[in-house]
Amino acid sequence: MSAEHGITINHVSRSFKGRGAVVQALSDVSLACPEGSFTALIGPSGCGKSTILRLALGLDAPDTGDVMISGMTPFKAARSGKTGVAFQDAALMPWRTVEDNIMLPLDVLGHKRADYLAEVAKLVDLVGLNGFEKALPGELSGGMRQRAAIARALITRPEILFLDEPFGALDQILRRQMNIELQRIWMESRATTLLVTHGIDEAIFLADRVVVMQSKPGRISRVIDVPFDRPRKPALFSDPRFHALEKEIAEALDGQ
Amino acid sequence: MASNRTAPERSDALSPIRKLLHSSTLRNWLLLLIIWEIIGQLRLVADGALPAPSAILARLWVDWSDYPPHILATLEGASAGFLIGNALAIAAGVLFAIFPITQRLARGVNVALFALPPIAVSPILVITFSGMTPRIILAAIACYFVTMSATVTGIQQTDRRIVDVVRAYGGRQWKTLVHAQMRSAIPSILAGLRIAAPNAVLGSILAEFGGGGRYGLGVYLIGSLGRGEPDRLWGIGLSATVIAGLAYLLFSLLATRLTGASKAVTVPASPPATKAEKNPLVEAALITVSFALPFLLWGLLLSIMGTPAMIAKTPLGVFDYLFMMPNSPASLGKLAMALSETLPMTMIGMAMGLFFAFALALCSVLYPAIIRGFMPVALVTQTMPLVALTPLLVLILGRGPSVILWITVSVTFFPAFVTMAQGLSMVSRAAIEVPKAYGAGPVKQLWLVSIPASLPYLFAATRLAVPRALLGVMIAEWLATGKGLGNLLNQSRGYLDYGMIWSVAVVSVLISVLFYQIVVAIEHRVLTKRGMAPAQ
Repeated sequence: MSAEHGITINHVSRSFKGRGAVVQALSDVSLACPEGSFTALIGPSGCGKSTILRLALGLDAPDTGDVMISGMTPFKAARSGKTGVAFQDAALMPWRTVEDNIMLPLDVLGHKRADYLAEVAKLVDLVGLNGFEKALPGELSGGMRQRAAIARALITRPEILFLDEPFGALDQILRRQMNIELQRIWMESRATTLLVTHGIDEAIFLADRVVVMQSKPGRISRVIDVPFDRPRKPALFSDPRFHALEKEIAEALDGQ
Repeated sequence: MASNRTAPERSDALSPIRKLLHSSTLRNWLLLLIIWEIIGQLRLVADGALPAPSAILARLWVDWSDYPPHILATLEGASAGFLIGNALAIAAGVLFAIFPITQRLARGVNVALFALPPIAVSPILVITFSGMTPRIILAAIACYFVTMSATVTGIQQTDRRIVDVVRAYGGRQWKTLVHAQMRSAIPSILAGLRIAAPNAVLGSILAEFGGGGRYGLGVYLIGSLGRGEPDRLWGIGLSATVIAGLAYLLFSLLATRLTGASKAVTVPASPPATKAEKNPLVEAALITVSFALPFLLWGLLLSIMGTPAMIAKTPLGVFDYLFMMPNSPASLGKLAMALSETLPMTMIGMAMGLFFAFALALCSVLYPAIIRGFMPVALVTQTMPLVALTPLLVLILGRGPSVILWITVSVTFFPAFVTMAQGLSMVSRAAIEVPKAYGAGPVKQLWLVSIPASLPYLFAATRLAVPRALLGVMIAEWLATGKGLGNLLNQSRGYLDYGMIWSVAVVSVLISVLFYQIVVAIEHRVLTKRGMAPAQ
């Protein structure tokens, strides 16, 4: 199995205590993302999809079960620079320029900035932010900030890429454009990718398979493979097969 | 559609008035000056106790050669205290923010430093230390709490998403602090320093009231008080105000220059961290240590310095003086008498100051246009060493009990008003517009939205007012009325009754801390019930 170099989530449970009640955020969840695959996690609010991501990033620890990233614990994988992450709401540092924000992971990992200058230029070009290298996040539009965040996620040439509703704050039109761009970027990097999203169309357009989750307790209810060839074109959004898949996922979300 | 049209119409009707008032801040000041000039020229207030601005300026011109050594001395004490106090405050704030348990342990020390009335400890400092040291210490204390809380708040309010990004790349405590938290705390720390700067000037002046040293604006002020030369007193007061105002301005400019470009891009939406479960045993231990720590530090400091026990009383020494000595009953009696005079005045003055501030702040919601002219005046008072100007009030109001109330009301009113008005202005428009959309009038909007939403600020203002009120009363007693704790302190200073000096200082700090804790406890109960967080 190539899961050795991908993401492996093994019988993970996690609960939170809040205001007297115990919330079972994840109950015995298992999921394997093989190397080079693109997996989308979709589900209603509170189904634990962001919790999975936080566990995989090492920002949180499971009550039982374990999470392995490229055969390592999440924290070790993060320390060795194997992972990249883009959050909902860009989460750029408002006091750093675009360039400096993109290089933040290097500062944290203790890599030399000088070794990556060509990489930064390439990424700025890839996400289409040429000419804005020295701009502060406050001077950019929402879509540009999100693209800067994607570039930041790619700076370490990650083997594993985590995307937490990266376009959640954007409008539908911009979102479509960003989906097309993300596919292009992903096809160049071929990183094992885990995308958390609320958008059914986004999940189908981008992923090899869509993992549908349910809440109370948070669990995986279905895994649906997406058969379309890449590169997928915008026309796919209006393909009848695309609509059929959308319907199938919507029904799975409704618990049918 | 109809309701849509009324809104702009109303604001059109208001706009000429609003414009007039808005452009008239300067004119208001001018008007105030002219009225002041007339009152001064006609000697309307207390037979010339409020001189005309022209007379004050003329006197300032004549006295000008006396000023440089006094100003330099005050500046020296204030700036050394500013540097030391803020360095300690930022270091402590970082420690507290990273290891919350240290903040809980140091809570007793922090609250004591916040609540202590500077005038009460200034005689102690003067008898235990020499030269500039008392001024530096008091100026440092005046800076410490503001900057420390600003640092803690700044670090804790770091956008959680940014912290997550650093942690997602394996960054731990230190990296998070360097790359995210310290940088994002800078605006908050600068805002703290802005308040700390005039505080340092005030701290130095209050230490000068306590004696020691020939130079300093405080020394000059006290020295001129007995001479019955109001124009000189006002000149000194104005110079102190200008210095404090300039210090405030300097840090405001610095803050805008450094932070203008880096405002938050989006609103963080992450929930606050969940609280860990509490172990009652650990809680009790924490509270005990936090309570004992100030006393331990006090004893430890004195034993390190090796000041003779006759002069420097340790906690045990104060206990001996008050309970174990032959004349302890007499001392206790004097203390109780003084307390019975000071406490009612403090409560009444504080209640009045807070009431006026709250009423006026609510008016500022109902009549934003009218209040806009007053807000700049109120903001200026933030930079004024208001407490140091009390001798001027003594001059105007004489030495009766009313002067105490005036001083207490004025030192509590302005900061409370500014806190509450700013709090009310932060109530979201959407929240106000909901009842408005259902046809609620202004009073109903106040009742439904503005008052509940401003509760955290009312409490914050009360917390702020507690130590100030006690300070105001004690200064008035010291300088004017000859009653209460302030007077007892001044008398004991004259009799070299060291035990009493220490006792008064300890009792006034304890009372201030007690009041503060009561307010915090009520605040906690009320706000928790309503799911609100305390305002800073």
